[in-house]
Amino acid sequence: MNPAPTTETITVPAGDGGRSIDDLLSNVSASRLATFHQCRLRFWFRYLSGIMKPKPAALHLGSSVHETLKFWNRARWHRQTPSLRDLHDAFSGAWSELREADSPQFEDEEGEKQTGWKLLETYFRESPIPSDERPEAVEVSVEADLTAHGLPKLVGVLDLVRPGGRIVDFKTSGKTPDPEQVTHTTEGQTTGYALLYREATGRAESGIEIHTLVKTKAPKLIVTATPPATDAQVTRLFRGIESYVKGLEREDFVPSPGLQCASCEYFNECRRWS
Amino acid sequence: MAVKLIANYAKRLGLPGYSSHQFSVSVETELQNVTDVAGESARLYESLQKAVDDQMQQTGFVPPDGYGMNGGQANGNGHQAGNEAGISDKQLDLINRIVRENNANKTDIENMAIQMFGGGVRTLNRMQASNLIDELFEKYPRRNGNGGNGNGRGNYQRQPARA
Repeated sequence: MNPAPTTETITVPAGDGGRSIDDLLSNVSASRLATFHQCRLRFWFRYLSGIMKPKPAALHLGSSVHETLKFWNRARWHRQTPSLRDLHDAFSGAWSELREADSPQFEDEEGEKQTGWKLLETYFRESPIPSDERPEAVEVSVEADLTAHGLPKLVGVLDLVRPGGRIVDFKTSGKTPDPEQVTHTTEGQTTGYALLYREATGRAESGIEIHTLVKTKAPKLIVTATPPATDAQVTRLFRGIESYVKGLEREDFVPSPGLQCASCEYFNECRRWS
Repeated sequence: MAVKLIANYAKRLGLPGYSSHQFSVSVETELQNVTDVAGESARLYESLQKAVDDQMQQTGFVPPDGYGMNGGQANGNGHQAGNEAGISDKQLDLINRIVRENNANKTDIENMAIQMFGGGVRTLNRMQASNLIDELFEKYPRRNGNGGNGNGRGNYQRQPARA
């Protein structure tokens, strides 16, 4: 058993955004699960320490792109066909609103914004989704009761559900993803989405698509399609949630040093942790 | 050899209080004239439609406002009895609350659900109900006070998914 890290050796003052272990045990999301299994100390810093960090520029860009895609998806739902100008206005509006709310750290805000819009232009040009296709759901909050399995409630937000139960998740990335890698690294998330869809509709999903918008010089759209989640994947997810519950109960927050530390926002705090 | 014609007519109609009723009639008949399938099926359609319409004018029990909102109908998870994926009582309660606090017209909400999902509020599954609630928050943003988060949900707490 590992004791919970103390903040005594960390000089960054704690904010008031920390959550309690009981709260974090009452339900679980795919992103929280992924953070926990990537590095438990990062999880502790992010969810329990109360230390607040400014939003990285890349995350701000991704959120603004998400908001614009949500606008596009909702417009199709209401049988509207927004012009490129409308979509650009939606992107600019989202960018400004989120900047106000999150105070992200930019080195070149205008450059980042242009990158975001170029990604969207590429997406609207190359998207496999027909412009008149009506979604089954858009940016929808759903939850799955896993108490029958002795696990907390699974919660999440589905970016888009295409007709026939095809779940779509949008991502932005700096690197061109390898399909097998994407399938592997997002397995917990996609299996979670499948469970959420099944619980909230009473039907099985027909498949899952990851739409990755790649921030290369010439932006790209990579669509990775996977079949419905298998029983083995669901079992694997349950094992992951079980480990999450047990880890939190015994306050096991050991660090996992590795390549991911290069982009960790808590690198300095981690170095001082004991 | 006898040739059979099987016909079914079904109709679902919305009722107040987010309820609906449906009725269908099926018949199986031996086709007298195999060269007049179209004529025979038109006659059956007219006859079945009339039979269904006549019956559906009797609405039977129509739930009053607030019916089933106190948890009496729900199972332990707040789900509708008999339909595990159906709209939950909590979701219905929230929709009713938005309607009440905004003096909204229930028929408008019902029509919104039909336009978005092809069915009335009580026919929605939980995912659809969640998206309908999002739409209602867009249409009826918070009316007063401070401390909102800019997404129009200041007056209502959904206990949304928290990452």
